[in-house]
Amino acid sequence: MAYPTATLDVIGLWVGWFLMLMIYSYPLYKENVSYRFAEHLFIGITLAITAITNFSNIMRMCITPLMQGQILMIVPLILGLMIFTMLIPEYRWVSRYPIALMVGAGFGLGIRGTIKPNLQDAIIDTITAPTGGGLIDWFNYLWVAVGLVCSILYFMLTFEHSGALKTPTRIGRLFLMIALGGYFGNTVLFRFTMLTGRAQFFLQVLKLIPM
Amino acid sequence: MSLAKLADIDRRVFYWILFIALMVPFLSPIGFPITLSPNTQDLYDGVTGDEVEEGEVWILNFGYGVSAWSECHPSVTVCTKALFREGAKIIITGTHYDVELTYNKLQDTCRADFDNKVYGVDYVFLGYMTGGESVVAQLGSDIASVYPQDHFGTPYDEIPMLEGIVDNADIAGVLSSDTGDYGGHFMTQWQSAYGTKLAEIGIAMNASTDLPRWQAGNFFGVSVGSRGGAELEQLIGELGEATTAMDSISVSHLLLILAIIVGNIGVITEKLGGNK
Amino acid sequence: MSNIFKQEVVYAITGIVTLLMIVEYFFFATNQIWAETIRTWAVIIFNISLFLGAIRLTMSHSVRIQEKRRDWQFSGVLMAIFVIMLLTGIAGYISTGVQTSNGIYNWLFNYIYTPLGATLYPITGFYIFSAAYRAFRARNIDATLMLVAGCLVMLKNAPVGEAIWVGFKDLGNWVQFTGQIPGMRTLAIVGALGLIAFGFRALLGKERGFYAGGSE
Repeated sequence: MAYPTATLDVIGLWVGWFLMLMIYSYPLYKENVSYRFAEHLFIGITLAITAITNFSNIMRMCITPLMQGQILMIVPLILGLMIFTMLIPEYRWVSRYPIALMVGAGFGLGIRGTIKPNLQDAIIDTITAPTGGGLIDWFNYLWVAVGLVCSILYFMLTFEHSGALKTPTRIGRLFLMIALGGYFGNTVLFRFTMLTGRAQFFLQVLKLIPM
Repeated sequence: MSLAKLADIDRRVFYWILFIALMVPFLSPIGFPITLSPNTQDLYDGVTGDEVEEGEVWILNFGYGVSAWSECHPSVTVCTKALFREGAKIIITGTHYDVELTYNKLQDTCRADFDNKVYGVDYVFLGYMTGGESVVAQLGSDIASVYPQDHFGTPYDEIPMLEGIVDNADIAGVLSSDTGDYGGHFMTQWQSAYGTKLAEIGIAMNASTDLPRWQAGNFFGVSVGSRGGAELEQLIGELGEATTAMDSISVSHLLLILAIIVGNIGVITEKLGGNK
Repeated sequence: MSNIFKQEVVYAITGIVTLLMIVEYFFFATNQIWAETIRTWAVIIFNISLFLGAIRLTMSHSVRIQEKRRDWQFSGVLMAIFVIMLLTGIAGYISTGVQTSNGIYNWLFNYIYTPLGATLYPITGFYIFSAAYRAFRARNIDATLMLVAGCLVMLKNAPVGEAIWVGFKDLGNWVQFTGQIPGMRTLAIVGALGLIAFGFRALLGKERGFYAGGSE
């Protein structure tokens, strides 16, 4: 995207630049009126966008087909409106029906979908030994296999981690620490990339670097 | 200055150091070389060459908002260009409410490729969907039930490229780009149920969960945040936003590691002093 | 009698729908119309339920403005921008079927929402920096392992790591592709087993915590 030339677009760019500084005034200075203003502006605008987007979604998926003759679409519409009884304490129980349907669908889909990728494929990949691999390949294979067993033992909380379970669960905990360390390292990339994007925008609006 | 005094420095000083340090590499680029990772190579191989036939239909799902543009968008740009250049058709869906902004940005970053394509014939933007695992499962059963019209209101059966596209069997592959777990939903409801080719273009934070899935064969490739984007830009030979940002990423990471080392000097000297 | 409609029928619906989804997947070669219909309904209900948050937030901020509580002016800003976006978006939707066809909505979406949305979340990057300095201490073997693994992955992700020493790339790759696999795979397996157990409890009507006013 090139630096805009239309007046409204240039104004918008600078408004966004100042809003960014208002948000960053909180960590870089202290909490202040401009930060709270920008924060509430964001909440209000996000609320509206979410409401409108969902409204257009409902129109597309439910209301328009209903108007075109799919009478059965009245059922989810009524069930959906029943959710709002959650706001009335004495009729709150009515909202359990649509929740029951959503929860049931979610659980059913979750149960049927999770078995193959998260259990079967994961275990098969773990126990499949390297074919014709060198020393490092076999070390990695044993690392994953032993680590998986010990880490799963760590999560067996119905048994006390003592006696025969003491050493494997301790080892499992160490494997989990390595995993969490790796997760932290990746999280850092994510957070700093977002910050980098903002630093780039800061310079682009000032025309110090090309847009 | 003693270590105790270092610990008392106002944290805002560190924030300013970081904020300024992030900007310096943009003004004075360094150009560290970027080597390829096997997961990114697999992703690129999966969307180019023999893996993609002309005319086959792919789904590209935007599960990220404006805050994750710098993380996911470079990879999405490269994959879109690659699929278009192989002659594939793309159905663009979104699970984030600002998906229209992301679609506009994609058109901007892939301007030359989109100019050669016709809306409704080579690509279509179906718009926003939400509903977690239920909506992804239903998309696999019957796409038109989730999207009776596209984002602009055109009825599903009036869109030329969607003729004959009913469910997962008509989709060659899915590229899921998200900040949450829609990639996981596509894995459980599409890849494991129907064997659909699936790749994840995720934020770096999801890499730790996505890489085991790639190793187990659930994903044919994974792009890890902006680093994956920079690698993909190298592979396609068109350097862009992600490559430009890598110098700044390097500086910030180095600063963080220095901060960790300085913070731990006290602990290490304590332990050494105690051992004596 | 009324308790049956408030509890037992609700649990029965959950159980039946859960069973429907499982039976469809394992016992039928192609998708079944009844399961597809229920899923479509669930998606529509989910979309409608998202308005609940908007209503609650609107009610809470309206009360703050009416009672002139602390910082009520900011609630006024929130409600003002909410109303402007809502009305302009609906106007755009009614005229062309796309909310961004309204110029005011489109401008606010592009130049107010985008910079704010892109700026608020990255603030956590600052906090990670100060947390790494103040809290990330290698006091025992567990913390040391976590610290070392994290640093190796960071040096692998950032090109500077390889520029300092090529070994950082190899070590970082090892942590990324082998070292962390047992732990992350464990979390996936344990999560899957938990989901299955939780789902069967819901199927049998024993899991009631997610119903509004669950104790009735």
